[in-house]
Amino acid sequence: MKEYEIVVGLEVHAELNTNSKIYCSCNNEFGLEVNTQCCPICMGMPGTLPTLNEKVVEKAVKMGHALNCSINRICKQDRKNYFYPDLPKAYQISQFDVPLCENGYVDVLVDGEEKRIGVTRIHIEEDAGKLLHSNNFDGSLVDFNRCGVPLIEIVSEPDIRSSSEAKAYLDAIRAILQYLDISDCKMQEGSIRCDVNVSIMEKGTNKFGTRVEMKNVNSFSAVVRAIEYEANRQIEVLNNGGEITQETRRWDDAQGKNILLRSKEDAHDYRYFPEPDLLTIVLEEDYVSELKSQITELPNKKIVRFVRDFGLSQIDAITIVDSIEKCKLFEDTVSENKCSPKSIANWILGDISKFMNDSKLQISETKLTSQKLAELIELIESGKISNAAGKKVFDILLNEDKSAMEIVKEKGLMQISDENELEKIVNEVMSNNEKSITDYKNGKTNALGFLTGQCMKATKGQGNPAKLKELILKYIDEH
Amino acid sequence: MKIDIKHIAKLSRLKVDDSEIEKFEKDMENIVSMIENLSDLEDTGSLLDKDNSMVLREDVAQNNFKRDELMQNAPQTKAGCVVVPKVVE
Amino acid sequence: MELFRYTATEISDMLKNKECSSVEVTKSVLDRIDEVEDKVGSFVTVTKELALEKAREVDEKIAKGESLSNLAGIPIAIKDNICTKGVKTTCSSKMLENFVPPYNATVIEKLNNCDYVPVGKLNMDEFAMGSSTETSYFKKTKNPHNLDCVPGGSSGGSASSVSAGETMLSLGSDTGGSIRLPASYCGVVGLKPTYSSVSRYGLIAFASSLDQIGPIGRSVSDVAMLYSAICGRDNLDATSAIREYPDFRANLNTDIKGKVIGLPKEYFGKGVSDNVKEAVLNLSKELEKQGAILKEISLPSTDYALNAYYIISSAEASSNLARFDGVKYGYRASDYNGLVDMYEKTRSEGFGDEVKRRILLGTFVLSSGYYDAYYKKAKLLQQKISAEFNDAFDACDVILTPTAPDVAFKIGENTNDPLKMYASDICTTTVNIAGLPALSIPCGYDNNLPIGAQLIGRKFGEQTLLNTAFAYESLVGGFNKIPDIK
Repeated sequence: MKEYEIVVGLEVHAELNTNSKIYCSCNNEFGLEVNTQCCPICMGMPGTLPTLNEKVVEKAVKMGHALNCSINRICKQDRKNYFYPDLPKAYQISQFDVPLCENGYVDVLVDGEEKRIGVTRIHIEEDAGKLLHSNNFDGSLVDFNRCGVPLIEIVSEPDIRSSSEAKAYLDAIRAILQYLDISDCKMQEGSIRCDVNVSIMEKGTNKFGTRVEMKNVNSFSAVVRAIEYEANRQIEVLNNGGEITQETRRWDDAQGKNILLRSKEDAHDYRYFPEPDLLTIVLEEDYVSELKSQITELPNKKIVRFVRDFGLSQIDAITIVDSIEKCKLFEDTVSENKCSPKSIANWILGDISKFMNDSKLQISETKLTSQKLAELIELIESGKISNAAGKKVFDILLNEDKSAMEIVKEKGLMQISDENELEKIVNEVMSNNEKSITDYKNGKTNALGFLTGQCMKATKGQGNPAKLKELILKYIDEH
Repeated sequence: MKIDIKHIAKLSRLKVDDSEIEKFEKDMENIVSMIENLSDLEDTGSLLDKDNSMVLREDVAQNNFKRDELMQNAPQTKAGCVVVPKVVE
Repeated sequence: MELFRYTATEISDMLKNKECSSVEVTKSVLDRIDEVEDKVGSFVTVTKELALEKAREVDEKIAKGESLSNLAGIPIAIKDNICTKGVKTTCSSKMLENFVPPYNATVIEKLNNCDYVPVGKLNMDEFAMGSSTETSYFKKTKNPHNLDCVPGGSSGGSASSVSAGETMLSLGSDTGGSIRLPASYCGVVGLKPTYSSVSRYGLIAFASSLDQIGPIGRSVSDVAMLYSAICGRDNLDATSAIREYPDFRANLNTDIKGKVIGLPKEYFGKGVSDNVKEAVLNLSKELEKQGAILKEISLPSTDYALNAYYIISSAEASSNLARFDGVKYGYRASDYNGLVDMYEKTRSEGFGDEVKRRILLGTFVLSSGYYDAYYKKAKLLQQKISAEFNDAFDACDVILTPTAPDVAFKIGENTNDPLKMYASDICTTTVNIAGLPALSIPCGYDNNLPIGAQLIGRKFGEQTLLNTAFAYESLVGGFNKIPDIK
């Protein structure tokens, strides 16, 4: 039997988090009462005209820079014509042959390996409205609130070879969109959506098979399922001597399968032509380079760096980078140069994440700072306080304007690690517990625990337990 | 040149009765043959006019219209929405 | 003399000097409508109450001594493809028979700020597609000079109402000659302004890259006054030009000494009637006597302009008119089976034949496999035509041509032959293709029907056109002659 490789290209649509819509001044807000966020322009009333929102261009260009695209400083918008009730003008203003950004790429980490995925283009366009259905009503209702919400469409090259690569690519895109404050990427609100193109090719060849487009893939986890299902379907067709036909299929995530939506013959003829109501978009070179300079290190790059330079695991790095708050805290704490990045990561992914989850608070809403955290971890790593004491200090750091050291002193949490001091205590305790030493020597190993407890008690709980244990064994050995 | 009026009509969401097809076909073919009389022009790629640039709008939101005003011309409404025949897809 | 017979400029001055009131002027115009509208049929909607109410307001403002615009208290009628808040705007189509816009076009906002008196909405070819106003769903407008003849189109009502004295001024729109052709046929003055000088916001689009709103009046000064009021940058129209405009009426003068007037030979060739040629050439000789210099020029791409025009305008129209689908506003068929059937029945029943023809043509030229051969080629041709005009204007200040190859034709004469109908646009479409301003002025009669001459100018060269026309108007003792309607 032949072996096949999966070939995937993704079209990601992300709604931009601007104040107003792309072509009119209506509020760009999700979830408000039906048909209350619209006006004659976004409802396509006769005689109305579009005006392009400058923030849309700005955000799209930023994304272009982030994905290493070349920016077409001179570009235009085009009309994509088709009839549907959620499209009030019966055309979508989009970009056809000259998109704002093209020829880019993004590096993502897949199973620890870096992989480069090409980005064909990024263009700006308007979203359509929403159709509402009800079983007890013979008709569909149209809500125009979403009409004219700004979108960017990010089209990848068919460089993706597995569902996990697809997932990694989508995670990277989403993280960048959020980092650059371009989109809120709220999957459940549909603010980021995805069309999936799947084909398969025989292993060892470079001949792409016929591609099938899948619509209605509404979550990133669904993308993984949809790709796998479709690839298997295609392989099965070929193995049964069939042929793959160019078509559009609809993914049904609940049923875990897709169905034919339309064949190539029924493909839309969109009759694109330049939008005559808008003139050319011409961006100054300075403007475009200024936007580039605003882009700092992006999440996908950070993940690679955290794994490479700090020895973090891929999953830990992704989890930290995924949250802007956590990532900032991590990097700031690392830059204090007081403690190991791995310990910082453990704290952030452990106690700090738990606190954020439980309290629903952001770090910035507490009194914890990167300096305080670095100091705290340094105290633990150097053995000056115990782990348990560290947790106590952490709870106080969140709420009080004190340094970790101040709290340690105030609460007397300092751990005794000085060998001379500890040895004195151990010698004294041991000389008062000769019987336990004899028991231990006779094989009653739990006598050691008792002795350690007695020593700890004598240090008022501040003795470094590891050191104490070491000194006790030394004492027994010598007596 | 033969024009597939039925296909064009479908794209345009227009119904053309069989009795009208011939008339439209003739009209269109006349017009198209007039159009085909175009001189040879150099194809300069994309229709980009860089000298005709546009000022963009500031991103300021304002809502000035009430739903009732916007819906007053709709042929059929329900629950603040316009009503269309049931759509699947 | 009845007040409706004066020009808007004269009435404007009389109002300022309190020689008459706006209510008197408005009543005179409304009476005239009552008298002749049955015969002429200029209006789709007459807003009598609104007009009188506004006129009373203006009279109060005048009484209080408020400083008012030149247009304050002047009755103006509006082509029915320009959106008027609260007043039906039909495009003379069954599709929009009951459409009441919840917003005003920018030009209406501007006229409101000038305290104009809204007389009503004017009949037109359906969706501005036509040259005779015969494609209106509601009625056929007649030429006031001969009721058996068409007024021209598509702004037929805009020209006939001004010509017949049913309004002092009107607004029309011009995509391929729709202001100039009816102005010519009805013996009035019509200006198609430079593309981008008047906001198109609220003008129900036919062909977005060619459409332009413009004024029609019975004197050059009237047209200058109304143009000054409506031009200017509008933030709601991304294509509107950012620039300052002079007061065109205040700057009018008759000095055309040394102005070079180009006569393009392609516009005086076959197809143009001898009487029209003679009248336009006579006009040029009169201007020459005033010191203008005549110069024969050539615009070789003219023959292709009509082709480019039909491709571009139909393509854009097919897209612009797709929104009329029975969902959000306008006509919806009563019996249908599912969504697609609803679309098809609505559009087939709501649009007339000419509109359907253009939608089909436009859909065809944009459809897969034909875009490069038609639409793209037409756009390239457009660039070539514009370049030719630019070259021509290196050598002359104004270009003079006939507005139409002939005078108004009989109603029904061309309705069955679209190509013959389209030929009446032969002199005017080039101007839209090149985005230039052009003015049609009366320059004689043929068989008692007015002949029009077209003056074409550089981009934003409206003042030169108006001054040239003003010089001729002064020579012939004015254009303001309201015909007896019989």
